[in-house]
Amino acid sequence: MVEMQSENNKMDNQIAVESAPVDQDAALCNVEVDEYFMNIKGELGQVDRLVSDAVNNLVINFRYISKLTQSHHDMVLTIEKMAAPEGSKPILELLGKQMIIADKIEQELETAITSLQFGDLVTQLLAHTTRQVEILNMELQRIDRQSNWENGQKTLYTLHEGISKAVEVANAKGKRKPVVQQGMQMGDIELF
Amino acid sequence: MAKTILAVDDSASIRQMVSFTLKSAGYDVVEAVDGQDALDKANIHKVNLVLTDINMPRMDGLKLLESLRKLTHYKTVPILMLTTESGDDMKAKGRAAGATGWLIKPFDPKRLLEVIGKVIG
Repeated sequence: MVEMQSENNKMDNQIAVESAPVDQDAALCNVEVDEYFMNIKGELGQVDRLVSDAVNNLVINFRYISKLTQSHHDMVLTIEKMAAPEGSKPILELLGKQMIIADKIEQELETAITSLQFGDLVTQLLAHTTRQVEILNMELQRIDRQSNWENGQKTLYTLHEGISKAVEVANAKGKRKPVVQQGMQMGDIELF
Repeated sequence: MAKTILAVDDSASIRQMVSFTLKSAGYDVVEAVDGQDALDKANIHKVNLVLTDINMPRMDGLKLLESLRKLTHYKTVPILMLTTESGDDMKAKGRAAGATGWLIKPFDPKRLLEVIGKVIG
């Protein structure tokens, strides 16, 4: 349970990791815009919690299956030792087949361990996206506040220009992606 | 006597998978949830190898690496980075700070054990 809560808090932790260069002077003033972005952030958090919860459960299941496989493997070895070599050829052949099956299950479990790491990659990407959304929110809020100061008529052009600028700033402020993997194949290894 | 590995990652599922893989191969495992936690545990346990993530709250993996290398006991202890980060700039930083190797996630249990075996025998 503690681990689950810890995993659920990971999104916040990841955001904390990425939350270095934020302009704190952008006081939020447009409640609707802020609420809209908060909803997006909430939904991204929900996706992260669902994925993390599912992955945690799957890891527990796979660990249990692995223990059972190991136990099955040991049992086959014991039976093999007990079986007399003469006259028990069919039993030994059967046990040999059982060993092959047990080895194959172990190999499949190892592949599953590699694939299950998608949860960590997804969490990091979601945290990165959440951060981008937060920055965009702040920049749009800043434009909204500035246009209020100017007290003038907003033209379509200035609105477009403002939004483009906000996206540009958000892009520049957003840190580079922490995850670039496009698939779940094993990553490179380099020893220095 | 089994060798002890300090496994550092803020993801509970990754910690479980690393720990499971290492324990199955006969290693003792000490888990830490971030760099600060790892630094605290590194001072308590006699660790033979550190396997750490990079992006973590409180203290990241690179800062942990730098902090450990300042400690007498950890000057020569192998420190492997296990991370999603694959950029050459990050690798160069890790190398300069004294990392022994760079493993990009997702890891394959068999290959992870091979590398660890190569590094600490």
